[in-house]
Amino acid sequence: MSDNKHHAGHSHEEHLREKHLMLDPLPRGQMNDMVMESMLEKPTWKFWVVVGFLSFIVVYFLFFKWGVLIAKGQGEAGVMRPDYWGIFLVNTVFWIGISHAGTFISAILRVFRAEFRRPFTRAAELMTTFGLVQAGFSIFMHMGRVWLAYWLMPYPNQRMLWPNLHSPLTWDLLAITTYLLSSTMYLFLPLIPDVAMARDRSTGWRKTFYKTLALGFRGTEGEWTHLRNAMNIFAFAIIPVMFSVHTIVSWDFAAATRPGWSSTIFGPYFIVGALHSGMGAAVAVLAVIRGTMKHMKYFIRGEHFDAIGKLMLIISMAWAYFFFNDYMVQWYGGDKWTQQLLHFHEAGPMGWMWFAMLVCNIVIPWAILWNPKWRATPWLVATVGIIINFGMWFERYIIIPISVTINRMPFTWRLYKPGIEVPMGIGTLALFILLYMIASKLIPLIPVWEVQEGQMAHELKKFGRETVVSVSELE
Amino acid sequence: MTEPKAVDLLAVFPDLEPAANAIEHLRSIGVHDECMNVISGIPVTEAMLGRPHQWTNVPRIAMGGAMLGFGAGFFLAYITPYVYPYPIQVSTQSFIPGPPTVVVLFELTMLGMLLSTFLGVFLDSFFPNYRPMKYVPEVSDGKIAILVECSHIEEQKVTDVLKKMGAESVKPAEAQHL
Amino acid sequence: MAIELKISEVKMSAEQSGKWGMVIDQDICTGCQACVAACAMENNISFVGEVDSGYGRSMHWIRIERFWEGEYPEVKMTANQPMLCQQCGHATCEPVCPAFATVHSQAEQLNLQVYNRCVGTRYCANNCPYQVRAFNWRDYKRPEPLSNQLNPDVTVRRVGVMEKCTFCIQRIHKAQDVAKSEGREVVDGEFTTACAQACPANAITFGRVDDPESLVSQLMKQSHGVKHLEELGTLPNVTYFKGG
Repeated sequence: MSDNKHHAGHSHEEHLREKHLMLDPLPRGQMNDMVMESMLEKPTWKFWVVVGFLSFIVVYFLFFKWGVLIAKGQGEAGVMRPDYWGIFLVNTVFWIGISHAGTFISAILRVFRAEFRRPFTRAAELMTTFGLVQAGFSIFMHMGRVWLAYWLMPYPNQRMLWPNLHSPLTWDLLAITTYLLSSTMYLFLPLIPDVAMARDRSTGWRKTFYKTLALGFRGTEGEWTHLRNAMNIFAFAIIPVMFSVHTIVSWDFAAATRPGWSSTIFGPYFIVGALHSGMGAAVAVLAVIRGTMKHMKYFIRGEHFDAIGKLMLIISMAWAYFFFNDYMVQWYGGDKWTQQLLHFHEAGPMGWMWFAMLVCNIVIPWAILWNPKWRATPWLVATVGIIINFGMWFERYIIIPISVTINRMPFTWRLYKPGIEVPMGIGTLALFILLYMIASKLIPLIPVWEVQEGQMAHELKKFGRETVVSVSELE
Repeated sequence: MTEPKAVDLLAVFPDLEPAANAIEHLRSIGVHDECMNVISGIPVTEAMLGRPHQWTNVPRIAMGGAMLGFGAGFFLAYITPYVYPYPIQVSTQSFIPGPPTVVVLFELTMLGMLLSTFLGVFLDSFFPNYRPMKYVPEVSDGKIAILVECSHIEEQKVTDVLKKMGAESVKPAEAQHL
Repeated sequence: MAIELKISEVKMSAEQSGKWGMVIDQDICTGCQACVAACAMENNISFVGEVDSGYGRSMHWIRIERFWEGEYPEVKMTANQPMLCQQCGHATCEPVCPAFATVHSQAEQLNLQVYNRCVGTRYCANNCPYQVRAFNWRDYKRPEPLSNQLNPDVTVRRVGVMEKCTFCIQRIHKAQDVAKSEGREVVDGEFTTACAQACPANAITFGRVDDPESLVSQLMKQSHGVKHLEELGTLPNVTYFKGG
């Protein structure tokens, strides 16, 4: 990279190149080889141990326990009156929240042309799809008669039974189905050129696999034009879909007649909460990818953690704003049941969780992410991300089983004690990680063509004595 | 037009600039734009290559899908409540609830639009297509390939132009399994 | 104009406030649980057992809520409060069911629970401000000899299904059928719900609230009658007397 110019800005330039992936271009062929190698690298025994362990958890905790739950009924879980909703729905909201990061990174950042997104849009999109799979599992686990779940789908039937469109759960079904399908398609479209690349460089069963996935893509002008147009439509259209999904999830609560739930601010509050946990999870996944896969230190750098760290800090502030806004208005309203509920949140037997939520969601991110050096430290930002996820899980736990403990019939008040939902929830987490690990060996995690496109668009430009980064818009 | 045999030449260029120059020269020796195609590993716009605007049906298909989706939403929200043998009343909410229909219409419109956008890529690009095709794998390494269709008579002339403009290789394109 | 419209709406909701109703006099309720037992026998309610019952999974369609005031040992009991489905005119449980498993009966002005449509999302129970819905958490075994006394007029529910008080709709229909076959209207007091029938103190009165001459209508007019959580706009059809 360094030419023989010896001027004052030289080391600055070097520094810029080292810092920014977009200014540190490698020949496309070399990047292809790096991505292929990271994918084809023979897994170590540790990889297989982890895969075996996770598979065991998935088979035993997720599927076997689910069988037990179906055979014996929801009594196996900790739900009862008044906690008709428990950890299954906490996990549903949690996983849908995780899934929002993918769309945020690959659609919102694409629309706003945030260049740092380029190397990890796919890694984030994979989280969306796999997260939604877990959300789907969790919501089906929750149903008392899951074998009749298809009754919720709108289809002509002999019973002349159509879903009830008055119910927020029906909207949920429509919204989550739309989101799952569209985010999977949005994952697939930018993947086509990369699997075509992989197809050109592989043999054996992988050749067949990539050939099938690449659909015969060559990269002709027409193909690129159709693909670009489609990706553009997706980037814009999937954003309102994403907002609608979590808003509708929040309506499950906000539309109900319960103290603490009837809040008009729940929609945006939930969306920000979803992004909070989603970005936290995304950064943790990126740190793992960077740490464990070959060549990833080239593609995923401190600058990316710094950029996501900034977003996390802003989102944490937004979350604090919405939390306080909701709390303030509920408190000021003075309704006696809401007062009881707020008191129960803070001073009840689960008060520790309420305070832990605030520490994980606000105190720790603010204390660490303000510092640019710390923010560019992958393990530290990833740790903050995981802590935020604990905080956000606590938040959903407080909103669902803890809040429904307090209702307008004090005779029924009772604290929720989780049962089979704990191992099954761990099972969904294991399945998420397992799917991700398998995917990392099967599909190129880095969208190489997007990185190359970005590197072409970036250059260093001199304004007087100052060397600055400039980006040209290729479209 | 009525040439009995045409030949496809595949020229591989190391970079964008020579490829764009080559296209310009080919045009000047009378090769029509329709007889050329560019294969690249990144999305290169028509303007960069000095090529005519590419037509795509994807936005139109998306619009059509959105309308279909809206229609499906309309059916769900406004028709299905009447399909029951007797009206089903929930609470005192009106038979066809106002705001929830907006939710249903929105979700199904978006679903229709996005599904058909996806489908549009398949239709417009003839995906999936596993037949043999003219291709060089170097393209995914960042090379730019130009596929020129010309008659036997022109073959030499075209090859010379392509070579002169910096093509790494020019050879008759053979359809092969990708 | 706008105000007139509002008045007509209010009238409409008042008209919708029911056909069947109940009055419960908390002052004479002894808390003997006879209504709870009678209801369980009449409606084939599962026998949940100690463990699950102790964990908030009791499945009674009517329950006696007991409260006290003050700290031990200065404890003062307050009146017992039998709580059952209030058969709201504007029920919060109904619109939230995605499968139309709980709907409003136009003919009887009651909240229906359609067991075989229920998929068990439990949203209705969550959204019931009275917390009177009971979910079949498991398939509970009926101990001998309870297994021999199922009421043939009432569906036996299985695991994963929500259920709740129906105002003994099977008795309503039976009375209507008998009256119809004899070519007359149902007479007030001709039949009553299982809980009202079993109450030794006569604290529960059931009947037509749209008939101003019926006993329940007469009682409802008393000034100390209250409806629970009326402020939510649920239009409940059960009136409580307390401290009269």
